[in-house]
Amino acid sequence: MSDLERELESELHRVLDPVTAMSTIPPRRAPARRSAVRALLGGAGAALSLKLLTGVAAAAAAVTVAGAATTGSINPADWGQQVSQHVSDCKKALADGQHGIGDCVSSFASQHGQVVASDARHHGQGSGNGDENTKGNGSSGGHGGNSNANDHARDKTKDPSTTGEREPTDPPIQTTVNVPPQR
Amino acid sequence: MQSIDDPVKDGPAPETYAPGSEVDFDRLYRNTYRRILGTLITLVRDRATAEDCAQETYERAFRKWKEWRPEASAEAWLHRIAINVAISDRRHQQLRQAGELVRRLGRPAPGPDPAMVAERSDLIKAMKRLPTRQAAALVLRHYHGYSNREIAAALGIPEQTVASRLAAARRQLQAVLGH
Repeated sequence: MSDLERELESELHRVLDPVTAMSTIPPRRAPARRSAVRALLGGAGAALSLKLLTGVAAAAAAVTVAGAATTGSINPADWGQQVSQHVSDCKKALADGQHGIGDCVSSFASQHGQVVASDARHHGQGSGNGDENTKGNGSSGGHGGNSNANDHARDKTKDPSTTGEREPTDPPIQTTVNVPPQR
Repeated sequence: MQSIDDPVKDGPAPETYAPGSEVDFDRLYRNTYRRILGTLITLVRDRATAEDCAQETYERAFRKWKEWRPEASAEAWLHRIAINVAISDRRHQQLRQAGELVRRLGRPAPGPDPAMVAERSDLIKAMKRLPTRQAAALVLRHYHGYSNREIAAALGIPEQTVASRLAAARRQLQAVLGH
Protein backbone atom coordinates (compact mmCIF):
# COMPACT_ATOMS: atom_id res chain seq x y z
CA MET A 1 0.00 0.00 0.00
CA SER A 2 1.40 3.35 -0.97
CA ASP A 3 1.77 6.32 1.30
CA LEU A 4 -1.07 7.99 -0.46
CA GLU A 5 -3.37 5.05 0.13
CA ARG A 6 -2.43 4.89 3.78
CA GLU A 7 -3.04 8.59 4.15
CA LEU A 8 -6.30 8.21 2.32
CA GLU A 9 -7.56 5.56 4.66
CA SER A 10 -6.32 7.39 7.73
CA GLU A 11 -7.86 10.66 6.72
CA LEU A 12 -11.14 9.11 5.66
CA HIS A 13 -11.43 7.35 8.98
CA ARG A 14 -10.53 10.49 10.86
CA VAL A 15 -13.26 12.44 9.11
CA LEU A 16 -15.91 9.81 8.63
CA ASP A 17 -15.65 7.67 11.74
CA PRO A 18 -17.31 10.33 13.89
CA VAL A 19 -20.11 10.39 11.34
CA THR A 20 -20.62 6.67 11.25
CA ALA A 21 -20.38 6.46 15.02
CA MET A 22 -23.01 9.05 15.67
CA SER A 23 -25.72 7.83 17.97
CA THR A 24 -28.77 9.37 16.43
CA ILE A 25 -30.16 8.63 13.04
CA PRO A 26 -32.66 11.14 11.75
CA PRO A 27 -36.09 9.80 10.91
CA ARG A 28 -36.44 8.72 7.35
CA ARG A 29 -38.01 11.40 5.25
CA ALA A 30 -41.46 10.47 4.14
CA PRO A 31 -41.24 9.68 0.45
CA ALA A 32 -42.72 12.49 -1.54
CA ARG A 33 -45.37 11.48 -3.96
CA ARG A 34 -43.45 11.33 -7.13
CA SER A 35 -46.50 11.93 -9.18
CA ALA A 36 -47.20 15.12 -7.28
CA VAL A 37 -43.66 16.34 -7.70
CA ARG A 38 -43.64 15.38 -11.31
CA ALA A 39 -46.99 17.00 -11.77
CA LEU A 40 -45.67 20.18 -10.21
CA LEU A 41 -42.57 20.19 -12.36
CA GLY A 42 -44.50 19.07 -15.34
CA GLY A 43 -47.11 21.66 -14.61
CA ALA A 44 -44.53 24.38 -14.43
CA GLY A 45 -42.92 23.13 -17.57
CA ALA A 46 -46.24 22.73 -19.23
CA ALA A 47 -47.27 26.20 -18.18
CA LEU A 48 -44.08 27.64 -19.56
CA SER A 49 -44.51 25.75 -22.79
CA LEU A 50 -48.10 26.87 -22.98
CA LYS A 51 -47.07 30.47 -22.47
CA LEU A 52 -44.43 30.19 -25.12
CA LEU A 53 -46.80 28.58 -27.55
CA THR A 54 -49.47 31.13 -26.75
CA GLY A 55 -46.98 33.91 -27.33
CA VAL A 56 -45.93 32.46 -30.63
CA ALA A 57 -49.52 31.97 -31.67
CA ALA A 58 -50.44 35.48 -30.60
CA ALA A 59 -47.46 36.91 -32.45
CA ALA A 60 -48.37 34.95 -35.54
CA ALA A 61 -51.97 36.11 -35.28
CA ALA A 62 -50.85 39.70 -34.79
CA VAL A 63 -48.64 39.52 -37.84
CA THR A 64 -51.46 38.00 -39.82
CA VAL A 65 -53.99 40.60 -38.72
CA ALA A 66 -51.51 43.40 -39.22
CA GLY A 67 -50.74 42.09 -42.64
CA ALA A 68 -54.37 41.77 -43.45
CA ALA A 69 -54.99 45.23 -42.10
CA THR A 70 -52.20 46.78 -44.05
CA THR A 71 -52.81 45.03 -47.28
CA GLY A 72 -56.43 44.17 -46.98
CA SER A 73 -55.67 40.54 -47.45
CA ILE A 74 -53.76 37.68 -45.94
CA ASN A 75 -52.27 37.30 -49.35
CA PRO A 76 -51.57 40.94 -50.10
CA ALA A 77 -50.15 40.60 -53.57
CA ASP A 78 -53.01 38.62 -55.02
CA TRP A 79 -55.70 40.33 -53.11
CA GLY A 80 -54.42 43.82 -53.83
CA GLN A 81 -54.28 43.20 -57.53
CA GLN A 82 -57.73 41.72 -57.56
CA VAL A 83 -59.24 44.56 -55.63
CA SER A 84 -57.40 47.17 -57.60
CA GLN A 85 -58.81 45.72 -60.75
CA HIS A 86 -62.23 45.52 -59.24
CA VAL A 87 -62.10 49.13 -58.04
CA SER A 88 -61.27 50.21 -61.56
CA ASP A 89 -64.23 48.27 -62.81
CA CYS A 90 -66.43 49.84 -60.22
CA LYS A 91 -65.26 53.31 -61.17
CA LYS A 92 -66.08 52.61 -64.76
CA ALA A 93 -69.50 51.57 -63.66
CA LEU A 94 -70.00 55.01 -62.09
CA ALA A 95 -70.44 56.45 -65.50
CA ASP A 96 -73.73 54.74 -65.63
CA GLY A 97 -75.04 57.06 -62.98
CA GLN A 98 -74.25 55.19 -59.84
CA HIS A 99 -73.18 57.03 -56.74
CA GLY A 100 -69.91 55.84 -55.30
CA ILE A 101 -68.20 52.52 -55.48
CA GLY A 102 -68.53 51.47 -51.88
CA ASP A 103 -71.23 48.91 -52.40
CA CYS A 104 -69.53 47.65 -55.48
CA VAL A 105 -66.22 47.09 -53.73
CA SER A 106 -67.86 45.81 -50.60
CA SER A 107 -69.65 43.13 -52.47
CA PHE A 108 -66.34 42.00 -53.84
CA ALA A 109 -64.68 42.22 -50.47
CA SER A 110 -67.30 40.04 -48.91
CA GLN A 111 -66.15 37.29 -51.19
CA HIS A 112 -62.80 37.34 -49.44
CA GLY A 113 -64.40 36.11 -46.32
CA GLN A 114 -65.98 37.51 -43.24
CA VAL A 115 -63.00 36.67 -41.07
CA VAL A 116 -60.49 39.02 -42.60
CA ALA A 117 -63.05 41.73 -43.03
CA SER A 118 -64.16 41.39 -39.44
CA ASP A 119 -60.59 41.50 -38.13
CA ALA A 120 -59.87 44.57 -40.14
CA ARG A 121 -62.96 46.33 -38.80
CA HIS A 122 -62.22 45.33 -35.24
CA HIS A 123 -58.75 46.75 -35.47
CA GLY A 124 -59.90 49.88 -37.19
CA GLN A 125 -57.78 48.98 -40.13
CA GLY A 126 -60.30 49.97 -42.68
CA SER A 127 -60.05 53.69 -42.13
CA GLY A 128 -56.27 53.56 -42.01
CA ASN A 129 -56.09 51.70 -45.22
CA GLY A 130 -58.51 53.89 -46.84
CA ASP A 131 -56.57 57.00 -45.92
CA GLU A 132 -53.34 55.48 -47.10
CA ASN A 133 -54.56 53.73 -50.18
CA THR A 134 -57.50 55.62 -51.44
CA LYS A 135 -55.76 56.22 -54.65
CA GLY A 136 -54.59 52.68 -55.09
CA ASN A 137 -56.54 50.02 -53.48
CA GLY A 138 -59.92 50.90 -52.42
CA SER A 139 -59.83 47.31 -51.43
CA SER A 140 -59.11 48.31 -47.90
CA GLY A 141 -62.11 50.54 -48.06
CA GLY A 142 -64.11 47.56 -49.03
CA HIS A 143 -63.03 45.91 -45.86
CA GLY A 144 -63.07 48.72 -43.43
CA GLY A 145 -66.01 50.75 -44.55
CA ASN A 146 -64.63 54.13 -43.61
CA SER A 147 -61.86 54.15 -46.13
CA ASN A 148 -64.23 52.75 -48.60
CA ALA A 149 -66.32 55.76 -47.91
CA ASN A 150 -63.32 58.01 -48.37
CA ASP A 151 -62.75 56.49 -51.71
CA HIS A 152 -66.36 56.88 -52.30
CA ALA A 153 -66.17 60.52 -51.40
CA ARG A 154 -63.32 61.11 -53.75
CA ASP A 155 -65.15 59.36 -56.49
CA LYS A 156 -68.10 61.51 -55.87
CA THR A 157 -66.03 64.55 -56.65
CA LYS A 158 -65.96 63.40 -60.18
CA ASP A 159 -69.50 64.58 -60.30
CA PRO A 160 -69.92 67.81 -58.32
CA SER A 161 -73.59 67.32 -58.22
CA THR A 162 -73.11 64.37 -55.90
CA THR A 163 -70.90 66.19 -53.42
CA GLY A 164 -72.53 66.33 -50.08
CA GLU A 165 -74.81 63.52 -50.85
CA ARG A 166 -74.78 60.72 -48.45
CA GLU A 167 -75.61 57.18 -49.06
CA PRO A 168 -77.69 55.56 -46.40
CA THR A 169 -74.98 53.13 -45.39
CA ASP A 170 -72.19 55.66 -45.12
CA PRO A 171 -71.08 56.86 -41.71
CA PRO A 172 -71.64 60.52 -40.91
CA ILE A 173 -67.99 61.44 -41.35
CA GLN A 174 -68.35 61.09 -45.06
CA THR A 175 -70.53 64.12 -45.26
CA THR A 176 -67.79 66.32 -43.84
CA VAL A 177 -65.09 65.29 -46.25
CA ASN A 178 -64.32 68.13 -48.54
CA VAL A 179 -62.07 66.97 -51.28
CA PRO A 180 -61.41 69.23 -54.25
CA PRO A 181 -62.41 67.84 -57.58
CA GLN A 182 -59.79 65.78 -59.26
CA ARG A 183 -60.51 66.92 -62.68
CA MET B 1 -35.05 -13.61 1.02
CA GLN B 2 -31.56 -12.69 1.92
CA SER B 3 -29.17 -10.18 0.61
CA ILE B 4 -25.82 -11.80 0.06
CA ASP B 5 -22.36 -10.45 -0.41
CA ASP B 6 -22.97 -7.75 2.11
CA PRO B 7 -19.78 -5.73 2.34
CA VAL B 8 -20.29 -4.94 6.01
CA LYS B 9 -17.47 -7.13 7.15
CA ASP B 10 -16.83 -5.92 10.66
CA GLY B 11 -20.40 -5.81 11.82
CA PRO B 12 -22.81 -8.53 12.74
CA ALA B 13 -24.03 -11.20 10.37
CA PRO B 14 -25.40 -9.86 7.13
CA GLU B 15 -28.93 -8.67 7.43
CA THR B 16 -31.65 -10.13 5.30
CA TYR B 17 -34.23 -8.00 3.61
CA ALA B 18 -37.39 -8.75 1.71
CA PRO B 19 -37.92 -6.56 -1.34
CA GLY B 20 -41.00 -4.41 -1.02
CA SER B 21 -41.26 -4.80 2.73
CA GLU B 22 -41.51 -1.39 4.34
CA VAL B 23 -40.49 -2.80 7.70
CA ASP B 24 -37.37 -4.26 6.15
CA PHE B 25 -36.66 -1.02 4.37
CA ASP B 26 -36.82 0.86 7.65
CA ARG B 27 -34.36 -1.64 9.07
CA LEU B 28 -32.12 -1.22 6.06
CA TYR B 29 -32.27 2.52 6.62
CA ARG B 30 -31.19 2.20 10.22
CA ASN B 31 -28.42 -0.23 9.38
CA THR B 32 -26.89 1.67 6.50
CA TYR B 33 -27.68 5.34 7.00
CA ARG B 34 -24.37 6.24 8.65
CA ARG B 35 -22.24 4.61 6.02
CA ILE B 36 -24.19 6.09 3.17
CA LEU B 37 -23.91 9.49 4.84
CA GLY B 38 -20.17 8.95 5.25
CA THR B 39 -19.79 8.30 1.56
CA LEU B 40 -21.85 11.32 0.64
CA ILE B 41 -19.87 13.63 2.90
CA THR B 42 -16.81 12.99 0.77
CA LEU B 43 -18.71 13.61 -2.46
CA VAL B 44 -20.82 16.70 -1.88
CA ARG B 45 -20.21 20.19 -0.60
CA ASP B 46 -20.94 19.89 3.10
CA ARG B 47 -22.57 17.85 5.80
CA ALA B 48 -26.00 19.39 5.44
CA THR B 49 -25.99 18.68 1.72
CA ALA B 50 -24.83 15.15 2.44
CA GLU B 51 -27.75 14.63 4.79
CA ASP B 52 -30.17 15.93 2.18
CA CYS B 53 -28.62 13.66 -0.40
CA ALA B 54 -28.85 10.72 1.99
CA GLN B 55 -32.55 11.29 2.41
CA GLU B 56 -32.94 11.63 -1.33
CA THR B 57 -31.05 8.37 -1.71
CA TYR B 58 -33.48 6.51 0.53
CA GLU B 59 -36.46 8.11 -1.17
CA ARG B 60 -35.25 6.89 -4.52
CA ALA B 61 -34.40 3.51 -3.08
CA PHE B 62 -37.81 3.16 -1.50
CA ARG B 63 -39.48 3.82 -4.83
CA LYS B 64 -37.46 0.98 -6.32
CA TRP B 65 -37.52 -1.24 -3.26
CA LYS B 66 -39.83 -3.79 -4.81
CA GLU B 67 -37.46 -4.16 -7.72
CA TRP B 68 -34.35 -4.71 -5.65
CA ARG B 69 -32.88 -8.16 -6.17
CA PRO B 70 -31.73 -9.87 -2.95
CA GLU B 71 -28.86 -11.48 -4.82
CA ALA B 72 -27.06 -8.16 -4.69
CA SER B 73 -25.85 -6.35 -1.61
CA ALA B 74 -28.46 -3.93 -0.39
CA GLU B 75 -25.82 -1.53 0.83
CA ALA B 76 -23.96 -1.64 -2.46
CA TRP B 77 -27.25 -0.94 -4.20
CA LEU B 78 -27.80 2.03 -1.93
CA HIS B 79 -24.30 3.28 -2.61
CA ARG B 80 -24.98 3.18 -6.31
CA ILE B 81 -28.08 5.30 -5.80
CA ALA B 82 -26.24 7.65 -3.45
CA ILE B 83 -23.48 8.23 -5.98
CA ASN B 84 -26.04 9.11 -8.62
CA VAL B 85 -27.72 11.49 -6.18
CA ALA B 86 -24.34 13.10 -5.48
CA ILE B 87 -23.70 13.51 -9.20
CA SER B 88 -27.06 15.21 -9.59
CA ASP B 89 -26.36 17.42 -6.61
CA ARG B 90 -23.01 18.49 -8.02
CA ARG B 91 -24.65 19.52 -11.24
CA HIS B 92 -27.24 21.53 -9.42
CA GLN B 93 -24.57 22.94 -7.16
CA GLN B 94 -22.77 24.39 -10.15
CA LEU B 95 -25.94 26.17 -11.14
CA ARG B 96 -26.50 27.39 -7.59
CA GLN B 97 -22.94 28.66 -7.37
CA ALA B 98 -23.40 30.64 -10.54
CA GLY B 99 -26.54 32.21 -9.10
CA GLU B 100 -24.87 32.94 -5.77
CA LEU B 101 -21.92 34.51 -7.53
CA VAL B 102 -24.23 36.89 -9.30
CA ARG B 103 -26.06 37.74 -6.08
CA ARG B 104 -22.84 38.28 -4.12
CA LEU B 105 -21.23 40.62 -6.60
CA GLY B 106 -19.93 43.59 -4.68
CA ARG B 107 -20.59 42.04 -1.28
CA PRO B 108 -18.00 40.65 1.14
CA ALA B 109 -17.71 36.88 1.14
CA PRO B 110 -19.22 35.13 4.18
CA GLY B 111 -16.87 33.62 6.75
CA PRO B 112 -16.24 29.88 7.04
CA ASP B 113 -18.80 27.71 8.78
CA PRO B 114 -17.12 26.59 12.02
CA ALA B 115 -19.06 23.35 12.02
CA MET B 116 -17.53 22.38 8.72
CA VAL B 117 -13.92 23.26 9.40
CA ALA B 118 -13.12 19.92 11.01
CA GLU B 119 -14.24 18.08 7.91
CA ARG B 120 -12.25 20.17 5.53
CA SER B 121 -8.94 18.48 5.47
CA ASP B 122 -6.84 19.06 2.41
CA LEU B 123 -7.38 15.50 1.29
CA ILE B 124 -11.14 15.64 1.65
CA LYS B 125 -11.22 18.94 -0.16
CA ALA B 126 -9.12 17.45 -2.93
CA MET B 127 -11.51 14.49 -3.11
CA LYS B 128 -14.46 16.80 -3.50
CA ARG B 129 -12.80 18.23 -6.58
CA LEU B 130 -12.45 14.82 -8.19
CA PRO B 131 -15.06 13.56 -10.58
CA THR B 132 -17.81 12.11 -8.42
CA ARG B 133 -17.40 8.56 -9.67
CA GLN B 134 -13.67 8.62 -9.02
CA ALA B 135 -14.13 9.98 -5.53
CA ALA B 136 -16.83 7.40 -4.86
CA ALA B 137 -14.50 4.61 -5.93
CA LEU B 138 -11.88 5.88 -3.50
CA VAL B 139 -14.32 5.98 -0.60
CA LEU B 140 -15.75 2.58 -1.33
CA ARG B 141 -12.28 1.12 -1.66
CA HIS B 142 -10.34 2.88 1.07
CA TYR B 143 -12.98 3.56 3.66
CA HIS B 144 -15.73 0.99 3.29
CA GLY B 145 -13.30 -1.71 2.29
CA TYR B 146 -15.01 -2.87 -0.87
CA SER B 147 -12.92 -4.88 -3.26
CA ASN B 148 -12.69 -3.76 -6.85
CA ARG B 149 -15.07 -6.55 -7.78
CA GLU B 150 -17.60 -5.41 -5.21
CA ILE B 151 -17.32 -1.83 -6.39
CA ALA B 152 -17.84 -2.99 -9.93
CA ALA B 153 -20.94 -4.91 -8.91
CA ALA B 154 -22.26 -2.02 -6.88
CA LEU B 155 -21.83 0.52 -9.63
CA GLY B 156 -22.68 -1.78 -12.50
CA ILE B 157 -19.40 -1.23 -14.29
CA PRO B 158 -16.53 -3.50 -15.35
CA GLU B 159 -13.88 -4.22 -12.78
CA GLN B 160 -11.26 -2.73 -15.08
CA THR B 161 -13.16 0.52 -15.07
CA VAL B 162 -13.02 0.54 -11.31
CA ALA B 163 -9.27 0.03 -11.41
CA SER B 164 -8.79 2.81 -13.93
CA ARG B 165 -10.98 5.17 -11.92
CA LEU B 166 -9.03 4.44 -8.78
CA ALA B 167 -5.74 4.96 -10.57
CA ALA B 168 -6.87 8.22 -12.10
CA ALA B 169 -8.17 9.44 -8.75
CA ARG B 170 -4.91 8.60 -7.02
CA ARG B 171 -2.88 10.33 -9.69
CA GLN B 172 -4.96 13.46 -9.37
CA LEU B 173 -4.72 13.43 -5.59
CA GLN B 174 -0.98 12.99 -5.78
CA ALA B 175 -0.73 15.95 -8.10
CA VAL B 176 -2.89 18.11 -5.85
CA LEU B 177 -1.36 17.05 -2.54
CA GLY B 178 2.20 16.89 -3.79
CA HIS B 179 2.91 13.29 -2.87
